[in-house]
Amino acid sequence: MSEAHDHGLPPKSSVSRWFLTTNHKDIGVLYLVTALFFLVFGGLLALLFRLELITPGADLLGSLGYNQAVSTHGLLMVFWFISPFAFGFANYVVPLQIGADDLAFPRLNALSYWLYLFSGVLMGVSFFQGSTFAGGWTMYAPLNTPAYIPGEGLGATSVVLALIMFTAAVTLGSVNFLTTMYRMRAEGLRMRDIPIFSLSINLTVWMMLFAFAALLAALMILTSDHILGTTYFQFANDGSTLATDADNPGASLLWAHLFWFFGHPEVYIVFFPALGVMAECFQTFTGRRLVGRKWFIISMVLVAIQSFAVWMHHMFLTGINLPIKTIFMATTIGISLPFDLMVFSLIYTMAKGRVRFTTPFLFSLGALILFIVGGITGVFLGAIVLDYQFRGTYWVVAHFHYVMVSGATALFGGLYYWYPKITGKMYDETLGKIHFATYFVGFNLLYFPMFVAWETPRRVFEYSQDLQIWHSMATVGGFILGASMLIMFYNLFVSLWRGEDVGDNPWAYATTAEWAVSSPPPLENFPGVPTYADGSLSFMDDEEVARRTSGPGGSGVAADGGTAADGGTASVTTAATATPATPAHEAAGEEHASHASFWPFLVSLGGFVAFLGLSGVRTGSVVYVSMAAVGGLVTVGSLFGMTREPFHAPEMPIAERWPFASVEKMKLGMWTFLASDIVLFGAFIGSYAFVRVAYGWSEWHHDLIPAEHVTMPGLINTYLLLTSSFLVVLAMVAAERESKKGTTAALAGTFALGVGFLINKGIEWNHLFHISTEMFPNGWNLSTNIASSTFYLTTGLHGAHVTIGLLICAYMTYRAWTGAYQGDDRAIEYFGLYWHFVDIVWLFLFPLFYIL
Amino acid sequence: MDWKGYTVIYVVLFVFATAQAVVEFVGIVDSAYWLAFGIIMVLSVVKAVGVAAYYQHLRWEPRAVTYLVLGGTVAALALTAAAAYSIV
Repeated sequence: MSEAHDHGLPPKSSVSRWFLTTNHKDIGVLYLVTALFFLVFGGLLALLFRLELITPGADLLGSLGYNQAVSTHGLLMVFWFISPFAFGFANYVVPLQIGADDLAFPRLNALSYWLYLFSGVLMGVSFFQGSTFAGGWTMYAPLNTPAYIPGEGLGATSVVLALIMFTAAVTLGSVNFLTTMYRMRAEGLRMRDIPIFSLSINLTVWMMLFAFAALLAALMILTSDHILGTTYFQFANDGSTLATDADNPGASLLWAHLFWFFGHPEVYIVFFPALGVMAECFQTFTGRRLVGRKWFIISMVLVAIQSFAVWMHHMFLTGINLPIKTIFMATTIGISLPFDLMVFSLIYTMAKGRVRFTTPFLFSLGALILFIVGGITGVFLGAIVLDYQFRGTYWVVAHFHYVMVSGATALFGGLYYWYPKITGKMYDETLGKIHFATYFVGFNLLYFPMFVAWETPRRVFEYSQDLQIWHSMATVGGFILGASMLIMFYNLFVSLWRGEDVGDNPWAYATTAEWAVSSPPPLENFPGVPTYADGSLSFMDDEEVARRTSGPGGSGVAADGGTAADGGTASVTTAATATPATPAHEAAGEEHASHASFWPFLVSLGGFVAFLGLSGVRTGSVVYVSMAAVGGLVTVGSLFGMTREPFHAPEMPIAERWPFASVEKMKLGMWTFLASDIVLFGAFIGSYAFVRVAYGWSEWHHDLIPAEHVTMPGLINTYLLLTSSFLVVLAMVAAERESKKGTTAALAGTFALGVGFLINKGIEWNHLFHISTEMFPNGWNLSTNIASSTFYLTTGLHGAHVTIGLLICAYMTYRAWTGAYQGDDRAIEYFGLYWHFVDIVWLFLFPLFYIL
Repeated sequence: MDWKGYTVIYVVLFVFATAQAVVEFVGIVDSAYWLAFGIIMVLSVVKAVGVAAYYQHLRWEPRAVTYLVLGGTVAALALTAAAAYSIV
C-alpha cells in the first residue's frame, strides 16, 4: 500500500511506523509479537526451575533464585503473556468482525499497548536491582512488604509498580473496547448477533473493567506500604511484636480478599477469549453453526457475573468463617454448570458437523480436552473438605495449568487461524500438525505427572524422593513443550516469505466479517460503511450515507430495520467488493481518520522512567529521585502534547448503538472509566471498613485516632467541593448561552475552590503530622497506626484525583478565556462527569473519616 | 435543567452536608452511634444520588448508563460486605 494511501503513516517496513501507529491492526500485531516475547521469557524461567526440580533441593538456582524464577514466571505468563496475546487478536479482529474501521479511541489504544510494553520492560529491569520479586505470583502480604523481603527489595517494588502500569493499560483498553462495541457496530448487528469471539471479548473487558480496578487498589496499597510507609499489611508497628497481629488483625486477610476479588475473574478473563477462539474454529472447521448458540452466550454472561462471587474459595484455609466458606463453595460448584453447557455445545457442534482437522481446529480441540481435565480437577478444590487436603500442593499447580494453558492452547489455534488474514500468507500445514502433536504430548507429560505427585508442596523446591520420577517426567515434558514452540516460530516466520498467498478467505466455512475483506485488510478496513440491514453484509457508499444522514432523523443511529441473520454472518452482497480499491469516503475526499501519533509512546516512556525512579526513592538515591521527577515531567508534558495534537477519529455515520444510542462516544468512555473508578475507590473504602471491622469498629476511633482529628476541616472541604461542582454546571449553562465571561469565571471559580480544598487538606495534614499528645507523642502520620494509614492513603488518593481534575480545569479555563466551548458545552460536561464523581466520593469519605 | 434548578440542588446538598455535621455536634454520635451512623450514611447516599442524577445528568441519560454505574457500585459493595462478613 502506498504511503499516500496510509494517510502519513510510514510503510510497514519502516521501524518508525511501529512507534507512530494507532491503527488497530498494527497495534494487534504489536501485541501479538510482544506477548510471544514474554511467553519465551516466562517459558525460559519455567525451564530453569524445572531443571532445578529434577532433584529435590535448590542446587542449581539457589533458594532465592528459585523463588524469583517461580514468582516471575507466574506473573509473566498470567499478566504479560496470555491476556495481551488474546488482546492482540481482539485488537486485530474485533473491529473487523463488528464492522468498525478502528477502535473508538485509537491513540488510547496505542497508549494501552505502550504502557503494557514498558510495564514489561520495568519487570525485566527489576532483575537487575539486586533481586526481583520472589514472593509468589499471588503477592501475598505481609510476606511481600519490605520488612519481609531480603535486601533492599527494590526489584520487588519495581514489579509491583510494573503491575500498576499494566493495570492502567488494561483499564484504558477496557474503556476503549466497550465504547467501540457499543458505539461502532455495523447497522443491524445486534449485540446478540456479533460473532462469538467478539462477544467473548466484550464479556472479558466487562470483567476486566471491574476486576482490575480491585487489583489496582490492592497494588496501590501495597506500593504505599513499600514506598510511603503506610501499615496496611503490617502486623505491628513498634518493631518488637511482629509475631502478634493485635495491632492490625486484618493485615493478611485484606490482601487475600482484594487480590482474589480480582484473581478469580482473572481466570475467566484469561479463558474467555480462548473460548471465543474455540467457538470460531469449531464453527469454521465443522461447517456448522454453534449448537445452542443462544444458551452458549447466556452461559458466558452468567459466568462473567458469577465470577465476582466465588473469590473466597481461594481462602478456605484462612480464618474466614464457615458460613461464608459454605456460601462460596456453593457459588463455586455452581459456576461449573454454565461451563458444562458450553463444553457440551462445542462437542455437539463437532458431532453435528463435518470436521476438518486443520491445525487451528486441532489446537481448539486439544484445548477443549485439556480444559475438561482442568475443570473437573478444579471442582475438587471448590469443595471445602477436599481443599483442606489439596491446598498448597501440586494438585493446584496441575489443575490451574490445565485450565490456563488450555486457554493458551486455544490461542495458539487462533494464531494459526488468523495468521493468513494478518499476513496474507498460508503457514505450512504439516509443520502445524507436527507442532500440535509435539505440544500436546509435551503438555501432558509436563502437567499430568503433577496430579500423580500431588503431595509435593507448592512453591517449594524440596519434595519426597519417592516423587522424583514424576518430577523428572515433568521436566522432560517441559522441554518437549518448549521445543514444540520452536516449530511454531519457525513455521510462522518462514511462511512470511515462502507461504502461499491467500485470498480474502482461505477457510471454506469462515463466515465472520474479517474474511470478507482482503488479507491483510486495508487501513480503513471496509470499502464503505458496513451494514447488515438486509440480513447480510453490504457496504453503503458516500451517496447513500449522505442520503441517510441528511435531513430530519438523520441521526446516524441505525433504525430498527434489519438485523444480522446468523451470528453476524458475512456473505457479501450488493455493491460490496471483497477487496476494495479505494474506500468510498476517501474517494469522495472526506477528511481522513488519523492513524499516527508519537505521544502514546512518549507518555509511556515517561511513565516507565518515573516508576523506575519511584522504586528506589525510599533509598534517598539522587539517581532514583531524579528519574522519578524527570519521568513524571515527561509524562505530564506528553499528555499535554497529546491533548494539543490534532487527531481525527470520526464516529461512524450510521451504526448500531444499543443500548447507548444517545450517549456519544466521549461521554460513554468517561462513564465507563468512572465505573472502574467506582470500584477502585470502593475497594479502598472496603479496605478501610474491613480493617476497622477486624480491629473492632467502635474501639477504632477511641484507640487509634487523636482528639485533634476533628470534623470541621472535612466539613469545610465538603462545602468547597459542593460549591465547585455547582460552578461546573453553571459553566455549562454559561457555555450554552455563549457567555465567554460566565464560562471563564465559573471554571476559574471551580479551579480556585479545588485549590482551596487542597490547601485546607494540607493545613489539616500538617497539623496532624505534628501533634504531640500522650497517646501520639510523635504526631499522627502515615506510619503511626492502621487508622492513620487508611485515612491518609484514602483521602490522599482522592486528593490526587482532585489534583488531576485541577490540571484539566486550569487548561479548560484558559481555553474558555480564549473563546472555546461557546455554544458547545460537551467538553465541560465530560470534565464535569469526572469532577462530580470526585465530589461524590468525598461525600462518603467525609462521614467515614471525619464523623463516624 | 436551568441555573435555578441547579441552584436548588446545590442548596439541598449544602443543607444535608451541614445536617451530617450537626448530627455529630449535638452528640448523637456519642449517645446513639448506630442511629447516627444510619442518618449520616442515608444523607450521604441521598446527596450522591442528587449529584449523579442532576449534576451528572443521569436522570436524562438512557437507563443503561445508570446500570453501568450501579454495576461498579454493586461490585464494590459486594466486596466490602462479603469481606467484612467473612471475619465477623
